[in-house]
Amino acid sequence: MGDALLNFFSHLLSLSNPFWLYYPLCAVAAVVYKATKFDDPKKIAKSALHFFLSVTAGMIVLAAVFYILNRVF
Amino acid sequence: MNGQNLAGGASPVAALVLAWAIPGAGHVYAGRWGKGLLFFGCIVGLLVAGMLIGGGTVIIHRDTQGHIELWWMAQMGAGGPTVALTPISEYLAARAGGDIYANRYREVGTLYAAVAGFLNVLVMMDAYVKLAYPHRRRDDEEKEDS
Repeated sequence: MGDALLNFFSHLLSLSNPFWLYYPLCAVAAVVYKATKFDDPKKIAKSALHFFLSVTAGMIVLAAVFYILNRVF
Repeated sequence: MNGQNLAGGASPVAALVLAWAIPGAGHVYAGRWGKGLLFFGCIVGLLVAGMLIGGGTVIIHRDTQGHIELWWMAQMGAGGPTVALTPISEYLAARAGGDIYANRYREVGTLYAAVAGFLNVLVMMDAYVKLAYPHRRRDDEEKEDS
């Protein structure tokens, strides 16, 4: 399982992986979504950053779980 | 409620239609220039980025078998810019020939454009609701704060 995790992160950090393009997409979605909720620019920036980090962390954990399940079983 | 002039004579339905035609225009119509420009930049930026990432062939309305593309229906949420980019994208797809689908970057570009469409639907609803139900929106924001 350790090897599978190592493989997952080396694949994730590879520059040839289009996964990098996910970050700007998620950032823009976070800003637009939070801008519909709040009016104050500071509040929009703070809540969008929080939203972006939560979604990104959640997606990475989910991807790691699926990757390991695929490799191990 | 539909089509009534509220909040300084601005019509919620007009804001909805404008927001579909030009992302952010509904907010500009309601006098919210900052948000309008932010939404325009984000949504049109995503569409253009999707086109660049996917080699320009991401906004096509029929697949090779003549079926309507479901992705295109999602992309149509962004209205005017999608309508303008569709013929350009279809021209580039026809010129590319062969199988344009077997390309990972094209998939990412298609996703970018589809997310732009979904986000614009959210922006359209926001433009409508802020004019039609101004008090309810303020209550929602106070709830989020607490």
